[in-house]
Amino acid sequence: MNRILKAGVAALGLAIISTGALAADWAPPGPIKMMIAFRAGGGADTQARLIAEALEAQMGWKFIPEQVTGKGGVNLLATMKDQPNDGTVIGIVVTESVGYNLAAANAGITPADFIGISTTAGFQMGIVSLSSKGWTTFADVVAAAKGGQEIRFGVMSPKLADLAYLLGKAQGVDFNIVSVKGGKAVMNGVNAGDLDIGFMAGIQAKGVAAGDLVNLASGLSTPLNQTPDAPTLADLGVSFNSDGYFVFVGPAGIPADARDALAQAIAGVVSDETTKAGGIIKKAFGGSATITGDALTTLMANDYSDAGALMDAAGE
Amino acid sequence: MGVLDYIWLGILSVFQGPELFSLFGLPVSVTLVMILCGFLLGIAVGATPGLAGPIAMAIALPILISVFGYHQDALLPVMGFLIGIMKGATIGGAVPAILFNTPGTPDAYMTTLDGYPMTQKGQAKKALRVAHFSSASGDTFSDIVLIVCAPFLALLVEAYLDLPEKTALLILSLSFISAVIGGSPAKGLISAGLGLLAVYIGTGEDFYPRLSLGTSQLSQGFPIATAVLGVLIIGSVFKGLEELWHEKRQSGQISVIKDKGDQRLRFAEIRRLFPFIARSAVIGTAIGALPGIGSTLAATLGYTVGKGRYQRLKAEDDPEFGTGVPEGIAATEAANSSVSGANLIPVLSLGIPGNAAAVFLILAAESIGGFNPGPSVFRFTADTVNPELVVAFGLFTAMFIANGLNWTIGGVFMRSMGVMIRIPKHILLPIVLLLTLTAIYVQETRMAAIWFALAFGVLGYFMRALAISPLPFVIAFILGGKLEESARQAFAATGGDAFFLFTSPVALVFMLMSVGVVVFTAIRSKGSEQSS
Amino acid sequence: MSSRSKSNLYLGFCCLGFSLLLLFVWIPLDTETGWIEKVRRQITIGDSLAPSVAALFLLVGGAILTLIERKAPGQPKLTGANMRFIGSVLLILFFSLTIMRYCGPLAVAITSAFTGDELEYRLLRDTAPWKYIGYICGGIVLIAGLIALIEGRMTGRAVLISALAVLVLIAIYDLPFDDLLLPPNGDV
Repeated sequence: MNRILKAGVAALGLAIISTGALAADWAPPGPIKMMIAFRAGGGADTQARLIAEALEAQMGWKFIPEQVTGKGGVNLLATMKDQPNDGTVIGIVVTESVGYNLAAANAGITPADFIGISTTAGFQMGIVSLSSKGWTTFADVVAAAKGGQEIRFGVMSPKLADLAYLLGKAQGVDFNIVSVKGGKAVMNGVNAGDLDIGFMAGIQAKGVAAGDLVNLASGLSTPLNQTPDAPTLADLGVSFNSDGYFVFVGPAGIPADARDALAQAIAGVVSDETTKAGGIIKKAFGGSATITGDALTTLMANDYSDAGALMDAAGE
Repeated sequence: MGVLDYIWLGILSVFQGPELFSLFGLPVSVTLVMILCGFLLGIAVGATPGLAGPIAMAIALPILISVFGYHQDALLPVMGFLIGIMKGATIGGAVPAILFNTPGTPDAYMTTLDGYPMTQKGQAKKALRVAHFSSASGDTFSDIVLIVCAPFLALLVEAYLDLPEKTALLILSLSFISAVIGGSPAKGLISAGLGLLAVYIGTGEDFYPRLSLGTSQLSQGFPIATAVLGVLIIGSVFKGLEELWHEKRQSGQISVIKDKGDQRLRFAEIRRLFPFIARSAVIGTAIGALPGIGSTLAATLGYTVGKGRYQRLKAEDDPEFGTGVPEGIAATEAANSSVSGANLIPVLSLGIPGNAAAVFLILAAESIGGFNPGPSVFRFTADTVNPELVVAFGLFTAMFIANGLNWTIGGVFMRSMGVMIRIPKHILLPIVLLLTLTAIYVQETRMAAIWFALAFGVLGYFMRALAISPLPFVIAFILGGKLEESARQAFAATGGDAFFLFTSPVALVFMLMSVGVVVFTAIRSKGSEQSS
Repeated sequence: MSSRSKSNLYLGFCCLGFSLLLLFVWIPLDTETGWIEKVRRQITIGDSLAPSVAALFLLVGGAILTLIERKAPGQPKLTGANMRFIGSVLLILFFSLTIMRYCGPLAVAITSAFTGDELEYRLLRDTAPWKYIGYICGGIVLIAGLIALIEGRMTGRAVLISALAVLVLIAIYDLPFDDLLLPPNGDV
């Protein structure tokens, strides 16, 4: 039995040597469990699985994807917290999971219990409506609301609900904020006419390009790639934004060489548009965004500490 | 580009797609081969107790995407394969229900009621023929309706159902199911109540996972597979084993059923069955077209309507429904099979799935890209080609090819799955149990899921022992999440109107019907009790 | 099975009791938000409402059972034989799943003790033959145990059939798919 094992280890070693261009000579001591905080088969899940597939091919590492969904990534983080921190357990969430959601959940977990490995892509968060509504910019929505029309605003997370509320407050109107499960559900609601406007994080790209949907505003601190003329939340009087990324994290205490090797490998795959994973990221988000190392640690910590201010503002 | 041009392009896209190999000089497109493979796999999977179409689709999708990649050319082969599984599993699902009294899918449950008694009477092959004929008829009818109505009907339905009406419709479905299916309204309500409770554990809007008793295992909620497969399949495995156990203790041996009598399906019988099939096909199609209501309700309604008609028309000494009459199988199978086609009406035109199979079709379209199920699909453009509409007609073509396979080789292949009856049940049931547990585990990858499934199995066993139908439980579990979500959304969307369920006439009618159906059945059962 | 059976009455009382427990103990103590909540100046539905509706179903069901259907004909009831049967089944399942869970790690620990290598099951859970040990042992005990329960004795044929069945399941779930893990390898 031992012989089979040694042969396996040797094969693993060979595969890594063959990709020797990477500086890190870290190799996982066993299969890597990749936890996914998103529903199986969805865009984010597909992205994660394709990254795993590419890494298996490139690095010879073995990944075992597993769904741990619910509570905006908090379920995944709670499960991951006590898992081995030798680099054999990683998970993909969004920065909001480690930031706002952990802060709001108040479950005794903080970003310090985790270590950021690498982001993969940034949201292209727009406030979107059907183009058949006749609105071309957010001011038209505000005008409609002031004209007495009830506006249903679809959101897919508590943080976005806070932002939608603050946006209404800044513009002097009341939105009927409707929480739904996932960005796809916002898009379904908007398409079916159940919702008037809604936050969409990149899923709208195709509909906007086809002219069915329109980005009325950017939910980010920066203009949207696809609709650069749409006003940002700051333009509309809200001092918070929904900037966020898909991010791979692991339990705190992963050794530096393992963290670096994982980060380098993941960033390498997603920024290469010829890989399948890189391809779909390009399609939905206009390209990858890979933040690693200390910059990522700071980003995660800030997201968490800023959450309080947003909750306070929305709680007024 | 006229309508006919689009239809023609759609058909061509299936037959002229990338060529896999050529047969007698004719190129065979990869899409055709994929539909066939999916269809055969679907029958096998559907016929295997413990497996079901959605599980096969869930496992196949990532593999297919890895094989075909992210390109518009991948849409038809991948979705053709999934459609094949969907249709194959629908007819295959009747096999274990009829032969082993273990429904592979929730909607095959009603098939067991008459299918299994027929097997016990030695009429297994005939029961399978009835199931296949009804299923294929219902399916074909439904597909025709889909193609004729998809562009118009879905938009119409959606236009009249806003969030409050959708909530009211879900409430109506639940109260109807509880009142009518449970055997008695009280037991139906209890069954549905337990299902709702189970689905609400660990879920909810707040970050604290409600009712989780502070445990981490409950905080993720019960995965749908554990509840549905547990109560339906494991519960019936337990019950089946117990029957064998008692049998062995009483007679000292385990009986094996041999085929008896005429197994063929005669034309005269088809004529007798046809009114049942036709009614159920219409019911199934109508239900399938409503977003969010799946084949289980259709099967139940089809069976109930069929039962009513049968009791009015039957001769004095004809056997009752539930004792092994072909009409019962026909009414159920035609109804649940006719859902799948119509279910694609809201899927294709609104992007809203009505059942698990439709969910995987949407996921496939979404993951691959180039096809965005939604109102834009049915935009008939005059001067440019709308590629999504071509894909839509390609899918319709794929469905008809699958139907053709169903009529030609489906029945034979399905009945060949009947060899499984030669396996003694006391050996098969434990294997089915391990298969079911394994299927749940590979999906959920935690031992807790297996324990949950076994606990639900015990619940299902006790429910059966106490004559409580497990079906309201399962339907409540499936609809519960949607019910809470749509109620929250309707409440929020109407600006916190506490009476949102009663302000629109349509919602009001649904709500009155919900109360009415429970009161009516309770009074009626009281009345029949006193007269007896 | 007589019309004087009290089983509906008992079942009704159980449901009434459980629903009251739900409404007044479990739901209030184990949910964070009430029936309705005020957040962001907007009234929304809280997390307690839906479970309360579930409890209401049980309450109404129990009430109809005790008040209206108390004397319904043909009420089946749970017997001692029912409990004995399900108890034996659960015992077999518990035993076999425990074997499934711990056989692999045990084999690894014994091997390490002999060879002196520091092996860890978790890291070997996707490596043959380790990954099959628990599933094969536990699966055979599960199937053969249940067959034996029905047949009333353990036979070599039952063990052989269960071994074959387990191998077929491995061939279905493990060999063609790289990503799927057999129990118990997902959460060791």
